[in-house]
Amino acid sequence: MSLLHAELRLILRSRLAAASLALLMALSALSVVSGLSAVSRQEATIARATAEQARDLAAVAKAYGKPDGEAGYAAYYSFLLTHDRPSPLAFLALGQRDVQPTVLRVRALSLQQQLYESETLNAEQALPGVFDFAFVAIYLAPLVVIALTHDLVTSEREAGRLRLLLSMPGTGLWRRRIGLRYLLVALSLLIPAGVALVATSAPAHLGLGILTVPAVYLAFWFGLSLLVASRVRASATAAAASVGYWIALTLLIPTLANAAITRAVPVSKGIDLTLAQREIVHHGWDIPKAATFDRFLATHPEWRGHETFEGRFHWKWLFAMHQVGDEAVAPQVAAYRASLLSRERWTARLGWLLPNVAAQGILHRLADTNLVAQLDYQDSIGAFHKELRAFFYPYLFFDRPFTRADFDWLPSYSARTGTASWPAIPMLMLLVVTGLILAAGAAQMRRTGRDASR
Amino acid sequence: MNGPVIRIAAEEWRSLARNRAGLIATLLLVALIVVSAVVSFERRAGIEAERARYQASADTGFDNQPARHPHRMVHYGQFVFRPLSPLAFVDFGVDSFTGNTIFLEGHRQNSANFAEARQSSLLLRFGQLTPAFVLQTLAPLLLIFLAFTSVAREREAGTLRLMLAQGVSGSQLLAGKLLGHGGIALAIGTPAFLLFAWLAARAVAPTDAVALLGIGYAAWLLLWAMLAVLISALVTRSRDALVALVAIWMVGVILLPRVLPEVAATRTVLPSKIETDIALHRDLKQIGDAHNPDDPYFAHFKARALARYGVSRVEDMPVQYAGLVGMEGERLTTGLYARSAKAMAAREAEQNGFVRAFGTISPLIAVRQLSMALTGTGLAAHQDFLNQSEAFRYRFVQALNWMQAEKIPSVNAGEDPRVSADNWKTIPRFRYRPFVPPSALIWPNLLVLGGWLAGLLLLSLPIARRLGRAAR
Repeated sequence: MSLLHAELRLILRSRLAAASLALLMALSALSVVSGLSAVSRQEATIARATAEQARDLAAVAKAYGKPDGEAGYAAYYSFLLTHDRPSPLAFLALGQRDVQPTVLRVRALSLQQQLYESETLNAEQALPGVFDFAFVAIYLAPLVVIALTHDLVTSEREAGRLRLLLSMPGTGLWRRRIGLRYLLVALSLLIPAGVALVATSAPAHLGLGILTVPAVYLAFWFGLSLLVASRVRASATAAAASVGYWIALTLLIPTLANAAITRAVPVSKGIDLTLAQREIVHHGWDIPKAATFDRFLATHPEWRGHETFEGRFHWKWLFAMHQVGDEAVAPQVAAYRASLLSRERWTARLGWLLPNVAAQGILHRLADTNLVAQLDYQDSIGAFHKELRAFFYPYLFFDRPFTRADFDWLPSYSARTGTASWPAIPMLMLLVVTGLILAAGAAQMRRTGRDASR
Repeated sequence: MNGPVIRIAAEEWRSLARNRAGLIATLLLVALIVVSAVVSFERRAGIEAERARYQASADTGFDNQPARHPHRMVHYGQFVFRPLSPLAFVDFGVDSFTGNTIFLEGHRQNSANFAEARQSSLLLRFGQLTPAFVLQTLAPLLLIFLAFTSVAREREAGTLRLMLAQGVSGSQLLAGKLLGHGGIALAIGTPAFLLFAWLAARAVAPTDAVALLGIGYAAWLLLWAMLAVLISALVTRSRDALVALVAIWMVGVILLPRVLPEVAATRTVLPSKIETDIALHRDLKQIGDAHNPDDPYFAHFKARALARYGVSRVEDMPVQYAGLVGMEGERLTTGLYARSAKAMAAREAEQNGFVRAFGTISPLIAVRQLSMALTGTGLAAHQDFLNQSEAFRYRFVQALNWMQAEKIPSVNAGEDPRVSADNWKTIPRFRYRPFVPPSALIWPNLLVLGGWLAGLLLLSLPIARRLGRAAR
């Protein structure tokens, strides 16, 4: 114990080491605060939109909720709110939430025309990316690891102590030194996040994951740093080489990979589907109404016999036409989603090799803030929209009046349960890569030890 | 320039050529600039071709619509795709974060959709491989690694004392080091500068924009070389210089640009689209209801219309009254949309102004602004596109409304009045006017970069004096 104590004093006496540990802890705390602030802004947006929306719907109910009110008007003018509340862990890994909508309102008209509305976003401020715990853990913490380990061997060599240290009896000196440094970095990084997790009473199994992943990721950097530190002869070279790896892993390779993936998987299919949808809906106005109803009744036979009407226009025809439009672009919707998921899959595969991409991916998955979460939200809107259509159809097809009281029966959106999960394969690969690099680092240290003591 | 200065500078170049790691890193960075330029050039061409193809097919689609009531065409609407500027391959700017296609229709203002950032995996958030990314983010790090030992090494090895004893003055020594590393910085930027010159020569981009871009990036690179040399001269050990410089890079290039937006977003809240839409809808209702015969606003409008045509009944008008009402309604709603868009832009400007004010501390913000302004990929260019498309929307919707007023009979129009399909070809088509950056987006940023260079030069005077005293 006293040996550890002595070693601890040795580390903290170094101004650079103490300062970088303090800085890491401060940045980690700052990122937690920044994440909490971002999440509370999103909560506030949901609260404001909910209040506004309730007022708006009340006005619609007042205007169209007559004793003989027509359901078509009610369906056409009633927008209903959906929202995507940040998950309990979102504040640690904001993922794509800064560019995704947190609220979206829909009405019973075509869903595909409403689903891709973009939220107001200050693009200039979204450009650099968010400052959250995931960012500090993935980008900044490795630099502290490098600062603390790059001269572990070389400084002893430069001071002429290496031979002496290696000839001392008893093993475990290096294990103690490295282990202690690892512990210090991990604690500086994880304590603020841990405290926040307890304070926000986040689910324990996910919270544990969001602390474990950075801990494993830090171990990877210790392995890499040891590998470099024990191979080179000068501290400056070790620092330069480690920072070189950091640049390559966190800045260069992901950027190159993104360029490659963007090229390999184009997603203009979103535009294709919008254009196709518009053609179908507008074409619907030019063809006989019976043609539209034929297609509609093929998928909704329960309304057969109720489709006829007199005159030029009936709301049920308009809504049937919109539904047919949605159904007609189903292949384009599937293609669009497939291309989005394909990008996500390729990124996950890249994570098998790159621990930083893997760690970030896992953090976003645990926090339920990535593209998968976005698609899950869209699915929940789709399910709600289906409910909304089913709600209005009996009124429209049976020509039932839609009164003030009927507005109270409108379905309301129930939030998605979330898709937060522990992704097994990326986690396993992260462990494997970390294990390999740690083993390589340890082997190199032993070899250096043998060479030096010869 | 005198002998010793040149000799010291030349010595730095020789030592770079001898330093294998330094040379390899430099060559890698230069290769990266070239590769990123080629990759982005191709990517820009691909995006541009795709958008042009979509624009053409959307326009043909409009022309090929069958005979219809003009108001149906108002809602069939037009799709507009934002063209990328010729220089966008240097710096993609906010393009991935703003949507690039807008659906324009009557009495609705739709948002720009399908932003790349919403459709990409997390990799996009690591950055995009463009010359701007390499020059702004990676080049400073390389310059730091090449220059952090420049003066400290002489001090550590004792050659500093020797040189001073041989009659080299502190300022000559520092000037030589600055010249040497300034030269290296410009050499690193050379492939980019050659690219800019080639663009200007081929008239792909305006010469002045390209020249200012070159000056801006040259100043940015020089700034880091100077900073590295001066810090190296200030500290006693080169190791400390490295730590200090990497910390400065970290804070200035990586940290501040990410922290400040969160502060700005908390200071100025952007209302969500739903809130904006509902507020607009409320304002619209206050103007008046054209379908209500007792509505005061439209009763007055009707009286004026009747007086203009010198008739007493709308049926006697030479044009269709409903068409006129449509035009008036569009005029009113467009005014409201413009007011609302302006309010939103003002809020964004407030956020951006807050962050940009820190450009003096973090010159990255200044060089990024400059780069995006000159390559036409910044927020201002996007807003210019939104304004152009909104102005266009108004013109084509009003053209269709006027078609309704003129061509649909005001009495006995029949059950399903339509106008013939060849009318659609007379409706205006969107023509994008390239964005010209206002000087307010250029000169303040150049001034900040120039100010940093001047400040560092001023700072070098006392540092040189201190170096000179090291001999004593």
